[in-house]
Amino acid sequence: MNRVLSLRFLFALAVALVGAYALYASLEWPFRTALFPRLIGIPLLALSLLEMLLSLVSAEKEREGHAVDFEMTTDVAPPLARRRTLAILSWIVGFLAFILVFGFPIAVPLFVFLYLKLVGKEGWVLTLSLTLVSWLTMEGLFNRLLHLPFPEGWIFALWS
Amino acid sequence: MFESFVEGLFVVLQWQPFLIMLMGIALGFWVGLLPGLGGSTTLALMLPFIYKMTPVEAFAFLLGMHSVVSTTGDITSVLFGVPGEGTTAATILDGHAMAKKGEAGRALGAALMSSLVGALVGAFALALAIPVVRPLVLTFGAPELFMLAVVGIAFISSLSGQGGRALLRGFLAGLVGLVFAMVGQDPQAGVQRFTFGQLYLWGGLDLVPVLVGLFAIPEIVDLAVRGTSIAGELPQGNLGKGAWEGVKDTFRHFWLTIRCSLVGTFIGIMPGLGGGVAQWIAYGHAVQAARDLKEREGFGKGDVRGVLGPGAANNSKEGGALIPTIAFGVPGSSAMAILLGAFFLQGITPGPDMLDKHLTLTFSMVWTMVIANVVTVAVSFFFLNQLAKLTLVRGAVLIPFILFLAFIGSYTSNNHLGDLVVFLACGSLGYVMIRCGWPRAPLVLGFVLGKIAENNFYISTIRYGSSWLLRPVVLILVLLTLAVIVYPLIRMRNRDATPEKAA
Amino acid sequence: MERFSANKRNAWMGWTLLLLAIFVGTPALVFGAAAYEGKVLTIVVGYKPGGGYDRYARLAAKYLPKHLPGNPAVVVQNMPGANSIISANHLYGVAKPDGLTIGTFNNGLATAQLTKVAGVQYDLTKFAWIGSLASDAVILTIRSDLPYKTVDDMRKAKEIVIGTTGPGSSTHDFPSILKEFVGFNFKLVPGYSSSADVMLAIERKEVDGRAGSYDSIKPFIDRGLVRPLIRSRTASPGIETLPVDEDLAKDAKGKAIMVVASASTKIYRPYVAPPGTPADVIKLLRDAFAAMAKDKEFLAEAKKTKLSIDFTPAEESLKVVREVLNQPPEMAQEIGKYIKFGE
Repeated sequence: MNRVLSLRFLFALAVALVGAYALYASLEWPFRTALFPRLIGIPLLALSLLEMLLSLVSAEKEREGHAVDFEMTTDVAPPLARRRTLAILSWIVGFLAFILVFGFPIAVPLFVFLYLKLVGKEGWVLTLSLTLVSWLTMEGLFNRLLHLPFPEGWIFALWS
Repeated sequence: MFESFVEGLFVVLQWQPFLIMLMGIALGFWVGLLPGLGGSTTLALMLPFIYKMTPVEAFAFLLGMHSVVSTTGDITSVLFGVPGEGTTAATILDGHAMAKKGEAGRALGAALMSSLVGALVGAFALALAIPVVRPLVLTFGAPELFMLAVVGIAFISSLSGQGGRALLRGFLAGLVGLVFAMVGQDPQAGVQRFTFGQLYLWGGLDLVPVLVGLFAIPEIVDLAVRGTSIAGELPQGNLGKGAWEGVKDTFRHFWLTIRCSLVGTFIGIMPGLGGGVAQWIAYGHAVQAARDLKEREGFGKGDVRGVLGPGAANNSKEGGALIPTIAFGVPGSSAMAILLGAFFLQGITPGPDMLDKHLTLTFSMVWTMVIANVVTVAVSFFFLNQLAKLTLVRGAVLIPFILFLAFIGSYTSNNHLGDLVVFLACGSLGYVMIRCGWPRAPLVLGFVLGKIAENNFYISTIRYGSSWLLRPVVLILVLLTLAVIVYPLIRMRNRDATPEKAA
Repeated sequence: MERFSANKRNAWMGWTLLLLAIFVGTPALVFGAAAYEGKVLTIVVGYKPGGGYDRYARLAAKYLPKHLPGNPAVVVQNMPGANSIISANHLYGVAKPDGLTIGTFNNGLATAQLTKVAGVQYDLTKFAWIGSLASDAVILTIRSDLPYKTVDDMRKAKEIVIGTTGPGSSTHDFPSILKEFVGFNFKLVPGYSSSADVMLAIERKEVDGRAGSYDSIKPFIDRGLVRPLIRSRTASPGIETLPVDEDLAKDAKGKAIMVVASASTKIYRPYVAPPGTPADVIKLLRDAFAAMAKDKEFLAEAKKTKLSIDFTPAEESLKVVREVLNQPPEMAQEIGKYIKFGE
């Protein structure tokens, strides 16, 4: 049961679904449009089903399956790690929400301020000066100098 | 030939272009450092000033800026795990891992020194290759480019792990990358593929938000989970004097650095392969250099060779990338298009003459790149050990800034909220891949090479029918692909036969 | 030496201005009176920095302040995506019609509207048109070492391989219409990543020729790599005498499609303000563009940077747009078969 719900199994399942969708979508395309998505979709579906199966039946050998890539830390106790992961992921999604609601120029210093104060529990001097730095970079460099088109936050749309 | 080579150096060393070049370098320094400040945006902003300069000054300014960007981009990649430029993401894998081991100084030293070696080797290789460079470029038609893309994807997928299971995941990741490459309007029939009715996706996924998400988010999560500084609670003794160690590393693995530089130059010369490819192939080559499986497993976890390879290739490719622009008048990027404009201002039409009549000018451009790198590396070395101390700053202070850079860096690639969605989606993907032990490098390479493979496949078949399969270079590349796929399998069997050796 | 110090001074001034811009840039206020005093005018560009649309806009940003009352600051904003449909939709539906935002987008957007491309929210005829800064001649060129010197030579050819970047660009649509309605034996090879890439394919003899904007092919004609053979109806100095595609068409339908395909090349760099921009403000903008297009300094800089200027006023630009859009539905469908709009 545990293995069925393991992340590895679910991820392989998700990738298999992507492969299946690619094949399905290619059904209504002209041949040349569809050829490559099919050439990719078929092995993708097959290999991810294999990966799914493998994560079901066999426990991994000790030395197998190490990717040439970094691995998440294992120094932190799992419950604490889970709590912290959840916290940081909500902060990241929260940043996006800030950007949507307030627009970039306000969201950035606001986020920096809140994160430093709530998570870092930093002192006022450090918090405020770093918030100012982030505001200056945002406003001076990206807004004034580069004139990036930042969409207005939703609350300003409510205003008018 | 040799005279032009020397003369070109003196052209650069005149003090007026030299000063302007320094300004370009200063600007490029920051552009490289900050994700979200891209080379082409800055060039566009600088246009009014560029057109006021004399042509030689304009070249010095543009190239000075251009060649520094990928050097300082490595610094951001190493320190924060956020790619400073789209072309410096491969350095993250081992560079940032080293920073987490308290070796940020060493990683930075290695990145910068290998950049310098790369720039030098690139320049000299180019100088030697000039007589054959036109035929070389013309040999690589659509069929050859298609096969190069195939070799690239096979190569990196097969290197990304050990054991059958890891190989399986390597290929899976590569295939996912290829699916990413299919997004957008297909150039054969003009059909929108996987765009889900979003205008934003018409042009396909953008490299920058994909890379920033894939690499930055897992690192940020890891940093938050550890609840420490980037370098953790390690003894801080060698942090402050690591840069020199990195320089020594470059010479310890000198031949690897040289080989990766040559790989970079070659990929740079190939038109249409794009800036993102060289570093990943070089990374693959560095991994391949591992003597045994245990060593190979150390990659991605802070092996200095994983920094040297992409660091060198990154800079050596710039010299090669000049070739299509100057020898054929065909710009490979918007930076090069602006450079082309500078040629027209001088009344020179780039073309075969550049390798002949105007050879001195060509070499002066190569020298500009070399000198710009020498200056940058020299200046940076004063800061490196200070910069390395950033990895001791409390994670909670760094995280909001890293996130800010990641968000703005993604957003500026299209100035569209869709960039942020792609960034977060790829961030989650990257996180899950790490948790499941899937390598990310094949995904990136599949993504950057997918379009190239598809387009050149169609060009080849429409133009040549099936006869392109018999072209000599294509045959060689087919053999190479087979070797690349079969080799790790053979190695695996050998390992099974002698298990005690691998352990 | 003198020249250098002047350059250096300019450069330093530039830097100082940049720094000033960071710290004291003035925020855009709501437009009230007719004057632009102390305001910021934004030009929205539908492409990334560095491309043709962007370079024209940045040139305009530099010279427009001089010709607008109150000398406002003019800034360029890039809003790339979907071949500039995103920016057109933004200008149509989101940007405030206060005269402080104008924009430039693909000249083929009329075709996209005509053929009802998914995602199009704008109606080109409802924009407050300012005009177009340039026109563009589309030409077909063939490698010079091939024996095709005239249209007749080409007709006799067994097969001519044309490299293209894919449906939706003039490199593809122009030769594909010629193939269909003149009867050339073209073999179209789509898939090159940029028109520069096609040029390289010509160089290595992978393809025999390409079509595209005259401005971008001119250096290669001058170098003797390719020779021009056919042009669309909008001419440019130097290629006036080339045969025009419309005159070669076999039938009326072909001719009509060619007319629509090339109509928008007259408004190669269109500039519009959002629908509903007050008439007095529009007049200021139109006058400013017209005056700028005659400004000697502006023209000199444009020439130096290889941006050709051929100003078309608002009324005429709108006429071109209407000409494209007033096709009967069955014609629109036919056109959609040959002219695709896309990235």
